[in-house]
Amino acid sequence: MEKDKGSVIGMQLATTRRRFMIGTGAVLAGGMLARPALAQSKELTIISNIGNADQRAVLQRLADEYSKASGVAVTINNMDHEAHKTAIRSYLVVGAPDVCFWFSGNRMKAFVTRGLFDDMSDLYEREGYKKVLGATTGALTVDGKQYGLPLGGLLWGMFYRRDVFEAKGWTAPATIEDLLALGEQAKSAGMVPVSMGTKEMWPAAGWFDHMNLRISGLEKHLALMDGKLAYTDASLKPVFDKWEELIKADLFTPNHTSSGWEQAAAALAQKKAALMDLGGFIKYGFPPEDVDKIAYAPFPVIDKSMPRYEDFSLNSVHIPKNGKNKENARDFLAYFYKPENLAAFLEAESAVPPRIDCPPSKDPLINAAVESMKTVVGTAQYYDRDTDPDMAQEGLKGFQEFMVKPERRDQILERLEGTRKRIFKG
Amino acid sequence: MSQFWRRHRHWLAPTLFILPGALLFGIVIILASVQTIWVSFFDWDSVGPMQWVGLSNYEQLAADPQFYVSLKNNVIWLVMFMLAPPLGLALALLLNQAIAGMKFLKSLFFVPLVLASVTVGVVFTWVYDPTFGLLSLIYGWFGATAPALLSDEHLVSFAVVIAALWPQIAFCLVLFLAGLNNLNEDLIGAGRVDGARGFAMLLHVVLPQLREVSFIALAVTVIGALRSFDMVAVMTSGGPFGSSSVLAYQMYEQSIFSYRFGYGAAIATVLFAIMAVFIAWYLRTLLRPERETA
Repeated sequence: MEKDKGSVIGMQLATTRRRFMIGTGAVLAGGMLARPALAQSKELTIISNIGNADQRAVLQRLADEYSKASGVAVTINNMDHEAHKTAIRSYLVVGAPDVCFWFSGNRMKAFVTRGLFDDMSDLYEREGYKKVLGATTGALTVDGKQYGLPLGGLLWGMFYRRDVFEAKGWTAPATIEDLLALGEQAKSAGMVPVSMGTKEMWPAAGWFDHMNLRISGLEKHLALMDGKLAYTDASLKPVFDKWEELIKADLFTPNHTSSGWEQAAAALAQKKAALMDLGGFIKYGFPPEDVDKIAYAPFPVIDKSMPRYEDFSLNSVHIPKNGKNKENARDFLAYFYKPENLAAFLEAESAVPPRIDCPPSKDPLINAAVESMKTVVGTAQYYDRDTDPDMAQEGLKGFQEFMVKPERRDQILERLEGTRKRIFKG
Repeated sequence: MSQFWRRHRHWLAPTLFILPGALLFGIVIILASVQTIWVSFFDWDSVGPMQWVGLSNYEQLAADPQFYVSLKNNVIWLVMFMLAPPLGLALALLLNQAIAGMKFLKSLFFVPLVLASVTVGVVFTWVYDPTFGLLSLIYGWFGATAPALLSDEHLVSFAVVIAALWPQIAFCLVLFLAGLNNLNEDLIGAGRVDGARGFAMLLHVVLPQLREVSFIALAVTVIGALRSFDMVAVMTSGGPFGSSSVLAYQMYEQSIFSYRFGYGAAIATVLFAIMAVFIAWYLRTLLRPERETA
């Protein structure tokens, strides 16, 4: 932490020195003072959190094309995905870019209520986005106004290797009983039934999401996310009962807290595990030549009377309120958001395009998700996107602990309930 | 001008030289510390308005089970880190011999000092990995299954401390090697004349001369144990489920991930108070001999 502070001070010193130099230069150059003001209206700064090199290249290409057509100088500052999550809170207040990437839903709302994201309803109106986006608009809307554009959606579910399942004569589990039966077969074949890596904790919360959506349904799940339902509520009991049954049946990778999701995905790629609960980005755990072997199946049904609800997390792009070139930002986003450009951008991460008029994709994982989305009745985003970040931190920890020590269930739920009361004030 | 300078340089020159350092120290350390203590009385998410809550953060801290887990882990760190000075001394005595190839051996022992602690953390994470790690290979030779150290809530802290001990021992080793090079030959000669050798020589002639070095090694080790953060962050992120967290890491987690800056500041303040006790003791012992000689 001390090092961080040091570098911040260093940066401040550097900017004051730069300001001093600029000041001196301005005095010397006199008449040239008018130029920076002119140049400023022709600038655009983007902060990107994209880790995937292919996708970064697409963004750069679109920025270059836009720059050439409009004469606006575009600067893209790339940040590490995780570091960006903390940096955004300071840069939105001081030193905001003109365009930045973030996540829709509750995570966006946190900044909207603090007046840090610009109202983009005018752009929606101008480009007629509501018609091509449909229900997706809801995730970007606060009090009837839109504060961002949706990017790719990640549909969560079970992934497996098609070749392995064919060789063993298995079928993807449609119900939880199928999953338990498949678990026994996988174990006798020397494989881990469900690959799980909870070092980063969120995969455990995703599993909870999916079970809760299957058993309690969307409405109750969202009430829990909004802090309106107690963690000690009786409706959660069957969820944890079933989950405990799965844990006791040794369905999950042993010592899963030691490995991250990437290691868990690699286990699936190496045929050491049969299934894994993740999004389309699972392909990064696979060697390129094996990507076409990946197949998708929805999370197994638990209660047959429950309509199909899924986690569908939606990334998004925004215009910070404190940015300088809001008009350029709108123009750039309008270009970036053209169906063919957006499709090229999303193809790189196998995400589902939010626009209905995007050209059809060649990526089988995208097409499987698009196809599957047709039978989805309602969507949540993901545990740590749907609930308060403070609650999410404790929740993730609690679910990880439950997966290791299911016997501590009451203790964990009591603790989460305490946190919920503190955050949501009752 | 030059007359002014001549008249005042006895105090102006040192002041000017100290000024940049003092300024930086004032802003980065003192101002930041005071501000942290101030923030700990507020409910604040680092973006919105600050709300005065008095001692509420400290009350919550006292009721937070995670706080006691972190505190317990800090104690584990502190106690286990006490191994570093004696082990460093033992290695220094071993390496401080004029044998061919000793220089090469010494440089091998310095390696962990050169590595960034993040690197050490990552390497040890691999060593401990239950599927492909060195530890599981060694257990495999004996036909046993290695415990997944970083997944076991009771062992994980010890596993992390062992990783952190490696560079810490090397650090103490360097301090003691420097100390051994500065031994007074006359005293050793005198001791030999009086018939001291072996262990007696070490205990009564060599060790007393290493008193100051040992003191520095001990103090640095104590502070190193209390401010441990990087190893925990790299190896476990405080996990599984917070069982390897330490106060510094809990502060980071609460402030950055849970948006609770006031609460994080309260943890930092408690850690500061614990450290202040050691630092006060350190300064007292450090200043005492100086006062005696003055």
